[in-house]
Amino acid sequence: MSDRDTIDLLAAVPLFEGRSEADLAELARVMRRRTVRAGDTLWRQGDHPRELALIADGTVAASVHVTGSGAAEIGRSGRGEIVGLIGVLDGAGHATSVRVTEAATVLALGRQDFAALLAGQDPSAFRLRRHLTTLLAARLRSQLEYLAVSLGGASSGPPAGDAGAVCDELEDTRAPDSRYVRRMATFHDFDPLALWGFLTSGRYVRCPPGRTLLAEGAPSPAYYLTINGAVEKVLVRDDRRIRVGLAGPGKAFGYEGLVDGRPSPVTAITRERVLLLVVPRDLFARLFHGEDAVSRGFLDVIQNDLMATLRETLRPCARLAASR
Amino acid sequence: MCRILAYLGEPLPVQHLLFDTDNSLVRQSYSPRLMNTFLNLAGFGMKAWDPTSLRPDDPFTYRATALPSFDRNLRFISSKVASTCLVAHVRGVTYSGDAVVADTNLHPFHFAGARVVLAHNGHLRQFSSMRYALLDHVRPELAQRIEGTTDSEWIYALILSQLEDPYGLPETRELAEAIAGALRILRDVRAAHAIDTSSPVNLCVSTGRSVVATRVSFDYGWYPPDDEMLETDLPFVSLWYAIGGEYAEDDGGWRMTAGEPPRSVIIASEPLTADFSSWLEVPEYSMLTAELTPAGLAFETRDLDV
Repeated sequence: MSDRDTIDLLAAVPLFEGRSEADLAELARVMRRRTVRAGDTLWRQGDHPRELALIADGTVAASVHVTGSGAAEIGRSGRGEIVGLIGVLDGAGHATSVRVTEAATVLALGRQDFAALLAGQDPSAFRLRRHLTTLLAARLRSQLEYLAVSLGGASSGPPAGDAGAVCDELEDTRAPDSRYVRRMATFHDFDPLALWGFLTSGRYVRCPPGRTLLAEGAPSPAYYLTINGAVEKVLVRDDRRIRVGLAGPGKAFGYEGLVDGRPSPVTAITRERVLLLVVPRDLFARLFHGEDAVSRGFLDVIQNDLMATLRETLRPCARLAASR
Repeated sequence: MCRILAYLGEPLPVQHLLFDTDNSLVRQSYSPRLMNTFLNLAGFGMKAWDPTSLRPDDPFTYRATALPSFDRNLRFISSKVASTCLVAHVRGVTYSGDAVVADTNLHPFHFAGARVVLAHNGHLRQFSSMRYALLDHVRPELAQRIEGTTDSEWIYALILSQLEDPYGLPETRELAEAIAGALRILRDVRAAHAIDTSSPVNLCVSTGRSVVATRVSFDYGWYPPDDEMLETDLPFVSLWYAIGGEYAEDDGGWRMTAGEPPRSVIIASEPLTADFSSWLEVPEYSMLTAELTPAGLAFETRDLDV
């Protein structure tokens, strides 16, 4: 595989879309090319995530350990696809084991090198963050669709009427004490000015428990961040339901559809009474596409939320795969 | 805040659960992985049932306010006891002059003659303002036996009070209903006293033949101003389980082996290994029940709407 081939491959990867030829050449230089035989393991689930891998050719299979059943394969990746992203991003150990099923050539990108790409303040770093968010949202959708199929039946679909109506009906309230918000792990890395910018970007509302704020299949009118209380993210089919996440303080919901322009993949129901920050669609777009400290923190919050939800839903996906 | 552990299944040396793994319960006292700002240094307690022992229905008991990592007696005992059921606890208290570190506050709670024991991970905020309202719901003879200052011992007495015979051996279903009933009483008493701040109640309750565990919190996500427990309670208080054949060391790591039907289960505030891959998170707002039967381990999870 020549350097030219590597650059062409990188140019075709959605994550690196829009990067200049010089950027791609630099990226190609820091990536380590490795040939691996069928049957080899790139890493095991839980291993310290030193690198991610871009598949140049061949095929790899990702699997997750299922207690009492061994490893369950949850997907395969081939040319142009990236494995190992979640572990590299959150540093909490690789989320899956990755085994080579067809002799492969992979381009490994070290965690520090990937972090350096994301750390910049230039437009390409922001673009990479947005691509990453879109990629993670697509993966989450795929996992949620897989889980939803296991429930059988059909989604009841979005309720009739204006999707934004529920949002408009919520009771407005005053902003929370910023000292409390600052103590949330979600905001530890925000500088005070960026946090202020973020916290003043929407309106604050209260809502009692048991209220459906967002229905699966409906367009999301806003990005919601839980300040107090908890919101369940569920998949519902007839009388069966799976909880796929709990948005407690500092956790968000409603953003998937705003990221990819598709309907919400989950239903969001208040489990406790809640105080929420509501960022309407147009303000979300401004923050998502912005290139300042507030947008940077905003993208981080979404990205962290996506990774946590992906990790949570991997286990039920694996149990389902093992049972088939 | 504390860390809890329950085990039910094949006879297993207690030391495997308390000491041998890289995130064992004793290690969680001084280096918990899922608590960023808190240690559990206010004592250790365990109840361990061994069917080959004298009076097998009575568990071995060990409780000490000493740090378990330096407790040689605990190491000696845990290497000699192979248990089919265990409930163990390392206690954490706030770093304030109000905390009482004493033998009477150590979990698991177990009134003499009772068959049920309880360990609690969590705390009822503003408990002092609701404590005596619970007397309406606790049998007087049980209330008189409360020795310590913890909310947990009151929860224990409240659960026993919901059983038809507090000193009998309840069926798993009756025990589960008693726990759910006690939680509903706590919810109502809190409401009557206008208490509406986050109060986690993760419980491991056992008779030696069954284990019932809860992962629940009242008013999760709401905290009083300047709360010293905030960072610990912002994430829903954790509870995990591993279920399968038996807990064994394999290739340098500890894992639950495959088993269908399952024969053993471990329920713990944190996975006992740094590698979480063989552990499952107990869903928030739910109850687990596990019971040893001739056909294996009967295991169930259900939503707990309290």
